[in-house]
Amino acid sequence: MHTQDFPQLDSVEKIEQGFESHGYICSRKIATAVFLAFQLRKPVLVEGPPGVGKTELAKTLALLLESPLIRLQCYEGLDEAKALYEWKYGKQLLYTQVLKEKLGDLLQGAQSLAESVAKLHQFGDIFYSEEFLEPRPLLKAMQQEKGAILLIDEVDKADYEFESLLLEILSDYQISIPEIGTIKARSAPMVFLTSNNTRDISDALKRRCLHLYIPFPTVELEERIVLSRVPGIDEQLRHQLVGFVHSLRELDLKKAPAISETIDWARSLLLLHAEHLEEELVRSTLNVLLKYEDDIEATDAELRALVRSTAADHAN
Amino acid sequence: MQSNLVDFIQVLRTQEVRISPAETLDAMEVARRLGYADRTLLCDGLAMTLAKTPEEEVIFRHCFDRYFQQELSDFSTQGEAPETETESGLSPAESATQAQELAATQATALQLAAETNPELEALLQTELMQNLLSNDRTELTLAMNQAAERVGLQQIQMFTQKGQFTRRILDAMGEEHIRSAVIALERDESPALPVLQRYRDTLREQVRDYVEREYLLHAEGKTQQFMDDILSKTRLNNIEHLYLHKVHELIRKMAKKLASRHSRRRKLLKRGRLDMAKTLRKGIPHDGMMFNTYWRQVRKEKPQILAVCDVSGSVAAYAKFLLLFLYSLQDILPKVRSFAFSSHLGEVSNYFSEHPVEKAIELVNWKYGGATDYGSSLSDFAQLALDDINSNTTVIILGDARNNNGDPRLDIMQGIYQRARQVIWLNPESRRAWGSGDSEMLRYQSACHFSAECNNLKQLERIVDQLLKSSR
Repeated sequence: MHTQDFPQLDSVEKIEQGFESHGYICSRKIATAVFLAFQLRKPVLVEGPPGVGKTELAKTLALLLESPLIRLQCYEGLDEAKALYEWKYGKQLLYTQVLKEKLGDLLQGAQSLAESVAKLHQFGDIFYSEEFLEPRPLLKAMQQEKGAILLIDEVDKADYEFESLLLEILSDYQISIPEIGTIKARSAPMVFLTSNNTRDISDALKRRCLHLYIPFPTVELEERIVLSRVPGIDEQLRHQLVGFVHSLRELDLKKAPAISETIDWARSLLLLHAEHLEEELVRSTLNVLLKYEDDIEATDAELRALVRSTAADHAN
Repeated sequence: MQSNLVDFIQVLRTQEVRISPAETLDAMEVARRLGYADRTLLCDGLAMTLAKTPEEEVIFRHCFDRYFQQELSDFSTQGEAPETETESGLSPAESATQAQELAATQATALQLAAETNPELEALLQTELMQNLLSNDRTELTLAMNQAAERVGLQQIQMFTQKGQFTRRILDAMGEEHIRSAVIALERDESPALPVLQRYRDTLREQVRDYVEREYLLHAEGKTQQFMDDILSKTRLNNIEHLYLHKVHELIRKMAKKLASRHSRRRKLLKRGRLDMAKTLRKGIPHDGMMFNTYWRQVRKEKPQILAVCDVSGSVAAYAKFLLLFLYSLQDILPKVRSFAFSSHLGEVSNYFSEHPVEKAIELVNWKYGGATDYGSSLSDFAQLALDDINSNTTVIILGDARNNNGDPRLDIMQGIYQRARQVIWLNPESRRAWGSGDSEMLRYQSACHFSAECNNLKQLERIVDQLLKSSR
């Protein structure tokens, strides 16, 4: 991707505004990361608890730049045939059939065996050529004329070996295919890797990336996010619900509610025509916020106190 | 500024943030793109290239604030004066003028004294004293920085060196002139003596503060590395409780290192997914007929580890660390089952997976602590786990093999030995003590693939490394 093609990414402020216009409220830090990634042509490794908008970041950037988003979801057992490329075996088989039929024409006039082999060599070998190559996400991202956003999602779920596979792509934006050679990216894509930290990413991979950690947002930021995603919600209720979610995050829970859950909850409350937080209302909708039975039970006991304190905090 | 950045990275390295030269270059590039004007922006940007984990980011921000602290040292002799004056109800402006007046009177007092004293006269002409008198912070800080560089303050390693460096910097700044003038004034019993003394003390104090700051920046990390090194070589039972927390960290780091070095491996096997490319290629000699099929499959090797730890009184001091190590190992390797015993044996894997480390160790000690009985413990173990031992299993036993003269049940050990891929015995006692008194070590040794003395972290690391290498 060329710098001059994308005036949206000229400065950190412009990025912040651009993201906001697409409904993604980002902190200064996130905008800086995007700016640097673009300027330095480096991949960004995004870490953070689930649901803070790691994947959304890449999606929004694709919207902002009007570039194609190519996504590779990682899982255990992901290998190069699914991530990089695969040969079109069916077509290759057909090709050998066709070749066999044409063989007589090709070798016409050849007297000796040596001559036939020499003649055979004159014809290009297209058995292994780009025509028979089935591009998978990584190769596809390299082939985009105008660059692309490549999202390698949950890279920590893939095996350790897969990381080594990524190294060449991430540092030089090229792919080596043994039968063909090196394929360079037509235009270097912007790469985002996300990780939920289920295991440590190797140092070699980390070294090639900018490291961005997205924590849970501050109250102010989260209120802005809710405002942009659920615009119809009453201001007082917004204060209260964000305050409540923040107090939930301070409890010792298996999985703390993330931004995506806050937004879902705000939407649910809007649908229920709630005007302010009440204990009963919270109890009946708690399953939107908390995904484990244990968590719901643990919170249930303290619900009254929590609701009261957040209601008092944001009463005015 | 560039050399500043390199210095800063050096500081980060001493704080255990690993930064490669390539990252240094990246950091330069980041600084160039972002500029030095916006401090938070620069800090964010650099954090992204230099810090690779949230923990490192915390260290980074801490160091960034400390390193780029642009505060100048205050050399005025009225350090505490403003406070008392604000109490007495004077406005800051008034107190400032008063301070100036005071400085002026002090200067004149010195001037007067200088007329009769040639040494003081000479002193007043020096740059240092001029700057002190006018309280020129920029010049003084600059002089101090230069002096520090000349004496190599960045090489400071231990806190014991602080005094030495303070003196050297003072010398380099020309403090000896003040000293000799003070002596001269003392001899003459001049009234200007306390004034000059105060200047001298302020200077010393500021240099001391400066050295302290630099020490924190440059040496704290080094001292930490030094401590880690010492700790890993100390016998486990001698490590004070105070450092237990640190040792925990060390063990965790070590276990992690080991686990990553010996993580799962994949292997190509006969059957699995069809290897189309190979099948095609191999079919070419048969006129394109795919005569033989080739398959590929990935298989995960799952070495299983059973760890048995003695927690009886005789090895109590070691047990804490061994359990700590087991805990860390179980945290990292997928298939570790842990057992603890003294008079009887039980599986403790659940404690380890459910509780934080301190609690788990406490629980294990409470449940299984007591007098040792290897015989009954081994038979417990055989009942619990013998069926699960196969040629992929490694059994690690941590204990001193002191059986209070009971039946050692060597037959069970031999049974384990025959079934398992590897039996490893780690004994905290030194080899010379094996077999002495009630120690059954020599007998048990015959039923082990490998036995070793293990009483400090270095040994433990070496042994476990070896173990994992061979268990592949």
